[in-house]
Amino acid sequence: MNKHLSMRSGNPALQSSTFRNHLSAVTEGTMTLSGTVNKTGIGLILIIFSAGYTWGNPAMHGLVIPAVIGGFILAMVTIFKPQYGHITVPMYAVVEGIFLGVISMIFEQMYPGIVIQAIFLTFGTLGALLLAYKSGLIEATENFKLGVVAATGGIAILYVINMIMGFFGSGIGVIHSNGMMGILFSGFVVVIAALNLVLDFDFIEEGVEMGAPKYMEWYGAFGLLVTLIWLYLEILRLLAKLQSRR
Amino acid sequence: MENPVVILSLPLIFIVVMSLIKMAKKKRSDGKPWFRIEKVEENE
Repeated sequence: MNKHLSMRSGNPALQSSTFRNHLSAVTEGTMTLSGTVNKTGIGLILIIFSAGYTWGNPAMHGLVIPAVIGGFILAMVTIFKPQYGHITVPMYAVVEGIFLGVISMIFEQMYPGIVIQAIFLTFGTLGALLLAYKSGLIEATENFKLGVVAATGGIAILYVINMIMGFFGSGIGVIHSNGMMGILFSGFVVVIAALNLVLDFDFIEEGVEMGAPKYMEWYGAFGLLVTLIWLYLEILRLLAKLQSRR
Repeated sequence: MENPVVILSLPLIFIVVMSLIKMAKKKRSDGKPWFRIEKVEENE
């Protein structure tokens, strides 16, 4: 039980105190693994339908900026008010689907076939890491969590600096470069994003063990969706860099 | 670098194979193997 008290996750949505803050709110059932899996499935279906609809309707493309802002607001509401997860998480999945639909279409026009490859690699990574986690090949030890959290934080800081530099017409070259360093950087980010999945599995499993309230199933699903969206975007970027070198 | 998907899939295939080997080797949680052969006494 001690390890529960020191839970860490690289995902900013999944903090160590998350479950402890909500344990007293258990009134209608507790969090289950199957419930979390089902809610993750619902979220993924909503993302796929929303992205597919956006892809086929150019009129929707103007909604990309509102979708990004809306997604950020919904993520913040979910993090600070997980009790409303049954409303905010499906809405988050729909608006992220709009964003992913537009981004995917842009990449597909530049590099035909890239989207299906990225989807295949994203779900392949999810399956492989789920198997590795269940088999005990990869264990979410304290040092592992610390390493992934530190690396994720480092990447986040780098991206924020890059965004700020972008306002002044500059940027960190290695993030966008398709040279060897750029590809290695993208590969590293993909690995860190993938390892965040292990922290998400661990977070969900410990929430179930601790008897977290039922609404935390939506929160666990939300954490997994955030990581999967990040992983998909980074794989898309890596594949684009590799294909641009042909 | 003909097909990046094949190259990027290799670590995933490695993880899956290693996981399956680990699962196959793993004993039950009570430390007993999946099956054992015991001598059956007469009239048991």
